[in-house]
Amino acid sequence: MKKKKILSIDDEENIRLLLSCELEDEGYEVISLGNPLQAMKMIEDEQPDIIILDIKMPQLSGIELLKMIRDKYYDLPVILLSAYSTFKRDVAAMASDYYVVKSADLNELKKLIKKIFKTHL
Amino acid sequence: MGKSALNDEALEILNTIARADILVGIPSYNNEKTIGHVAEAIKLGLAKYYPTAKAVLFNSDGGSDDQTRMVFERIARTNSYDTFFIKEPQFPLKTVSSQYIGIPGKGSAFKAIFEAAQMLGVKACAVLDSDLRSITPEWIQLLLEPVLAKGYGYVCPFYRRYKYDGTITNSIAYPFTRALYGRRVRQPIGGDFGFSGKLLKLYLNQDAWDTDVTRFGIDIWMTTTAIVNGFKICQSFMGAKIHDVKDPGADLGPMFIQVVGTIFSLMSTYGSHWQKVVGSRPTAILGFQSETAPKPLNVNVSRMITKFTEGISSHKSSYQQIFSEQVFTKLMEVAEMSGDNIDFPKTLWAKVVFDYAVFYQTAQDHQRVLQSLIPLYYGFISSFVHETENLDDYQAEEIIEELCQIYEDSKPYLIEQWQQNKS
Repeated sequence: MKKKKILSIDDEENIRLLLSCELEDEGYEVISLGNPLQAMKMIEDEQPDIIILDIKMPQLSGIELLKMIRDKYYDLPVILLSAYSTFKRDVAAMASDYYVVKSADLNELKKLIKKIFKTHL
Repeated sequence: MGKSALNDEALEILNTIARADILVGIPSYNNEKTIGHVAEAIKLGLAKYYPTAKAVLFNSDGGSDDQTRMVFERIARTNSYDTFFIKEPQFPLKTVSSQYIGIPGKGSAFKAIFEAAQMLGVKACAVLDSDLRSITPEWIQLLLEPVLAKGYGYVCPFYRRYKYDGTITNSIAYPFTRALYGRRVRQPIGGDFGFSGKLLKLYLNQDAWDTDVTRFGIDIWMTTTAIVNGFKICQSFMGAKIHDVKDPGADLGPMFIQVVGTIFSLMSTYGSHWQKVVGSRPTAILGFQSETAPKPLNVNVSRMITKFTEGISSHKSSYQQIFSEQVFTKLMEVAEMSGDNIDFPKTLWAKVVFDYAVFYQTAQDHQRVLQSLIPLYYGFISSFVHETENLDDYQAEEIIEELCQIYEDSKPYLIEQWQQNKS
């Protein structure tokens, strides 16, 4: 069976590495991107099944990118990641499937990814 | 489609107009104080954002005995564009105010609007409540542009609302619709919607125009029909909703019965659809988002608790019939402990709603069944108020999100009860 593809977008290299290692161990194919400005092109080229998106990035905020993704890809699952729980106050975050506060423990994130793949509308 | 909701006078005017690109409808009943503001905002919005479109503003009235229709016609026909620095549109706005034919209610008013829009062959249509105070001309673009420019079929409003405004939405309409049909539409009964000509046609072809849909059930029926039929849906950020709010402990009875009754009825219509749905997906939010402060609303908790405890004693035998033993026992425990600080667990509330939804399908007297759910709703809302009294609107929103997750996680229980009831 074809592996599910996850696109991780984060400007911090150590976070990208952590996500890649942990999620590849779970059996997913993970592609990473440090520059959110290249995200739309990469989504078009790679056609990921899920996007994990950091919120605070210098070139473009994850919330802005989420709006662009939603505009073009109606149902592409997106999980927002942030070190700050205050981002939940931004209503635009509600257009993501889930939002997770960054932590070294990725269990919550892994559970949500599984949940999304089980979701059937 | 049944009998037309348009009267002869309206039909004659619409025949004269013949074609239009856009129609915006306002249902009304004794709204003389607010309809002028709504009509003005729509008129300006149409001129500002659609200056070259052929537009119609249609007031569908339920037989107001005040000056509603006169105020509408006066405001809609006054040339006030220059006052608001907006150029006159290329085609003068056509306005129609008409008393609809049919069962009195919002849904019948909408039916007349839909029929008018279909007659004129519009590309997009919007409906807006006549008691809105926070409407601006931008709302017109927010409801119509996703349809006209982005190919959406249905546009729902996304408001900032005070934590105790919209309690039927927060406790049932939003979490239950989301769990059933898998689409997160935060204001499924928001009252202000935009939709395509294609969806309009589907609405008019549905065989539902002699049910609670003709009254307050119309909003949830429109949203559910759009979701189930796979129309592309978005939410437009409209800012704060300021309207004629009501204390959830007062006056919400008929609305509660019509909205919840429609949700339960639609479960039967779309049974094979919702039972396959697992989880939920978000819905895009369009529009410029700004900080807005909704108007606070005073809630009389002690009145709701009294209605809850009185309801528990008067409907106890019904509850024994409706609920599983486990749910009934837990409910009695909640009732026994309910002082001022009532704690109605969210998992229990979700099961209460689910058990009612199942029982409703075979009940003879739907009205009576739903009436007996109202005290429990008051109990749950009292508990929600208690839990959120020291929280701001954002934090209260997280509690609602938690409730939604509980509805979704408890859905296997609903499916099990539903299938047992059918066999």
